[in-house]
Amino acid sequence: MEVTRRQFLKWSGVSAIGAVAFNGCLIPEQEFQIESPVNLPEDLVSGIDNWYATLCRQDPEGCSIIVRVVEGRAKKVEGNPDYPTNQGKHHARSEAGLQALYHPDRISQPLLREGDAHVPISWDEARRRIVERMGGLADRSRFLLVTQPLRGHQALLASEFTKAYGGRSMAFETLEQVTLRRAVMDVFGQERLPVFDIERCNYLLSFGADFLSTWLSPVKYSRGYGELRQGGGHRGLHVQVDSRFSMTAANADEWVPVRPGGEGVLAMSMAYVIIRDGMADPAAADALTGGGGHEALAAFSPDNAQVQDVTGVNAGRIAELAHAFADPGNRPSMAIGGGSAGAHTSGLFNLRAIYSLNLLVGSVNTPGGIEFNPAPPLRELATNDVMAMGVPASFREWREMDRPQVLMVRGVNPVHGLPPDANFRAAVEGAEFVVAFSGFMDETAAMADIVLPEHNYLEDWGDDVPDPGPGYEVIGLQQPVVAPFHGGTRGFGDELLAIARDLGLDLDNRVGASTVKDLLRRGAEQLWQMDRGSIRASNFDGFWNGVLQRGGWWDASARDSSGVRDIKPLDTAWPDISFSEAPGGRAFNLIPFLSNSIGDGNLAHLPWLQATPDPITTIVWHTWLEMNTRTADEMGLQKGDIVVVTAAGGRSVEAPVYPHPAVPPDTVSMPIGQGHTAFGQYAEGVGVNTMSLLAALSDGATGGLAWAATKVSVSKADRSIDIPRFEGNQFAEEVDEQAIIKITKPE
Amino acid sequence: MLKIAALTALLGGLAAGGLVTLIVVVFLMRAWWSTPFEVMGFGGPPEQPIPFPHTVHAGVGDLLGEDGNPVMYADGQPKTALGLDCTYCHRNVDKGASASVPPVEQCIFCHKVVEDSEGNPLPGLANLVTAWENKEPVVWERVHRLPDSVRFVHEAHIRYFTQQGNLLPSGEQAMFAANVCATCHGDVAAMAEVKQVRSLKMGDCLDCHRDYGAPTDCTTCHY
Repeated sequence: MEVTRRQFLKWSGVSAIGAVAFNGCLIPEQEFQIESPVNLPEDLVSGIDNWYATLCRQDPEGCSIIVRVVEGRAKKVEGNPDYPTNQGKHHARSEAGLQALYHPDRISQPLLREGDAHVPISWDEARRRIVERMGGLADRSRFLLVTQPLRGHQALLASEFTKAYGGRSMAFETLEQVTLRRAVMDVFGQERLPVFDIERCNYLLSFGADFLSTWLSPVKYSRGYGELRQGGGHRGLHVQVDSRFSMTAANADEWVPVRPGGEGVLAMSMAYVIIRDGMADPAAADALTGGGGHEALAAFSPDNAQVQDVTGVNAGRIAELAHAFADPGNRPSMAIGGGSAGAHTSGLFNLRAIYSLNLLVGSVNTPGGIEFNPAPPLRELATNDVMAMGVPASFREWREMDRPQVLMVRGVNPVHGLPPDANFRAAVEGAEFVVAFSGFMDETAAMADIVLPEHNYLEDWGDDVPDPGPGYEVIGLQQPVVAPFHGGTRGFGDELLAIARDLGLDLDNRVGASTVKDLLRRGAEQLWQMDRGSIRASNFDGFWNGVLQRGGWWDASARDSSGVRDIKPLDTAWPDISFSEAPGGRAFNLIPFLSNSIGDGNLAHLPWLQATPDPITTIVWHTWLEMNTRTADEMGLQKGDIVVVTAAGGRSVEAPVYPHPAVPPDTVSMPIGQGHTAFGQYAEGVGVNTMSLLAALSDGATGGLAWAATKVSVSKADRSIDIPRFEGNQFAEEVDEQAIIKITKPE
Repeated sequence: MLKIAALTALLGGLAAGGLVTLIVVVFLMRAWWSTPFEVMGFGGPPEQPIPFPHTVHAGVGDLLGEDGNPVMYADGQPKTALGLDCTYCHRNVDKGASASVPPVEQCIFCHKVVEDSEGNPLPGLANLVTAWENKEPVVWERVHRLPDSVRFVHEAHIRYFTQQGNLLPSGEQAMFAANVCATCHGDVAAMAEVKQVRSLKMGDCLDCHRDYGAPTDCTTCHY
């Protein structure tokens, strides 16, 4: 019989439907089976969820979270409502911790490099090799431990380990806050970052600090911002002085687009006006000007053409800003600065000028202004050595560091995150032996001789003294909420103790415990003996359970009220604001920024975060170049056109253009964090590494990377793509006459 | 000739139609009204990976062998059952939706020391020991299973019947969770191999819900 095409289609359709329909009637075989698990913890009731409090380690903010655990699997992350800094709020980054925990690319056993490949080895064998190399190192100062900024007992452990061994340690942060910390020290005499009381502030002036997205403690600040805007009683104002239209600028009542590097001059000019017009606190004005009054700041008078040129803001506008900031009716008013404002060759000058404004209006040590954080409650965590573990090394320190012979890297990826001029790649290549503690095969781990897979933070113990804290003593506790998913991972602290034991360093006795958990319990015992604060109990077990349940311990009455002891005069010399040369053609200031979701790229391996739209452009899974719409028109560029962004030294990357009316004409912006050549299936091959463009410029005084001081040229490549993004195909435009955001034109 | 052909066709059509109708009716009856075959006595209890006797663990008094006579130790003393409370193993039954089967670890609590008189592990425990040594779960054949469309919560039923004044259908007052189980599961303590004894169909649920004035809204169970 001949089968026609029609019959064939009919029959195959019928048999397909039949197969589906009849299979659907059957109950799958596994439904008739039921498993006895091997172990069943007492608090595990199948079908009933448990919520455990722990700390989020996805970003340096260190929010406390509660994790929903069902039958031994972590299912959902929420903010811990009890914890003083984030107060029940959390970030998308915290949510995505689950993906890091159950990631298919996680390394599940120690790896040894053989040629270009890594082969699995046992923990004993890995440790034997490490101890052999470290024990045999003649000059022990040529051992370098590189970590993220560490706090709490982890910092104590790493610091004691390095000291006992005789090596060095450095903390890595991609856009380090070195200059900010120095400015806080210079202006307020504080070693710790202060509290910015956005919640009770009435007039918030922020210079370059993208505090709603990535700057210091965005979750805490976002919560406070909600209170500022919609809290009971008052509606505070927020003015953002920023060279990029960031998410924070987009939320502000007013955005003042300042020329890159001109933030400090603008602040000085405001100080001049405030003092001149008699609106300043006289004692502070005297101290800041060395008794010279506004005349001492004459060089920064708004009428000086150079001031207007450097800041891009006209004299009238500067005076208006100064008056609004100092207006008694607007107090408490607060000036904060950071991000791109401190990332110039004049970074320290800028930030000192900005933070000094607070002294002029009496906004220091007062609600709604800047308050200070007390030292950690435990004396062992408050030593200089331990506190130093929390301070990142500056770009200059990376550049000038002595090359290590044995290098141990933990949880950071400086090969990807440092600008090429830091030569970190060469340092890794030059080291004789490199150990990486890493859950994933990122660029740095890929170069390591031994890779030690670390527990995910949801599987490990730890604690944290938040920096910046909430203004009083806090210790957050991190506990394992699930059993280790892979049998072959271990905790960093515990492995460090084990290595130290094999090296005969006596670290156990130095810190007084042989596991991280014991170390934390010992710390908790000291807190219990203080018998004050959020948890008090008649016995230690009761106290310990309380700390585990609430995610930490804090004492809201233990504050620092020392105030500013002596005010240093402002630096009145005109700052050195310099930029790298663009390689030719029209020069643009490149303002890189941290991604709202993947941060500096340490979270680029998590698809949830890759797919989280950027708040301004709604772009996902990419690196793009933000450019002014009119500039793009002039250059004949349309959305999605690929351009070559070239910096001095012939370094270039390619990225699609995203024209946007709120990009200052001489500025372009690119997010940081993509362009991975390793780091798993979701990170590799996505976007480009913006850090690779940056010039080797740093702040003269602090050595902090001047990451906003690179100039680039932009040229058209003859390709274009449809940029993956969430929004429709419309430009960001004002939709009606009632413009919410006032865009001031640079003059 | 034509008439005969038409008649044949008609009769054939009727017969075929009747057959189809019959199949549909039987199917519907089977699906909605019938008592499961196992409960009516067709087919025995499922074979389990470990021949776990509830009689030994949950029963009380002397153990009876297959011949109905008491089982003796070598010294002539009768073996007695352990009389464990149901919730000793099914420990989630008064906490959550499912009663839960105990973890392998819990079996091993006792069975690492329980041996026969020659010091050999008890017969039938080989699979348990293997599972424990390999840290693998034991996969049991399910005896009681409700359709996916139903949410049955053990905890709520246990809570109701252990409250003072809420008598069981048998007329007794349940003092403990374990007194309630037999209402639906039968006298499991007397079963060497567990099998289902009640239909546990929707009608069965509804009868009981009506008797006790419990809600009979669809969303009580179908949610």
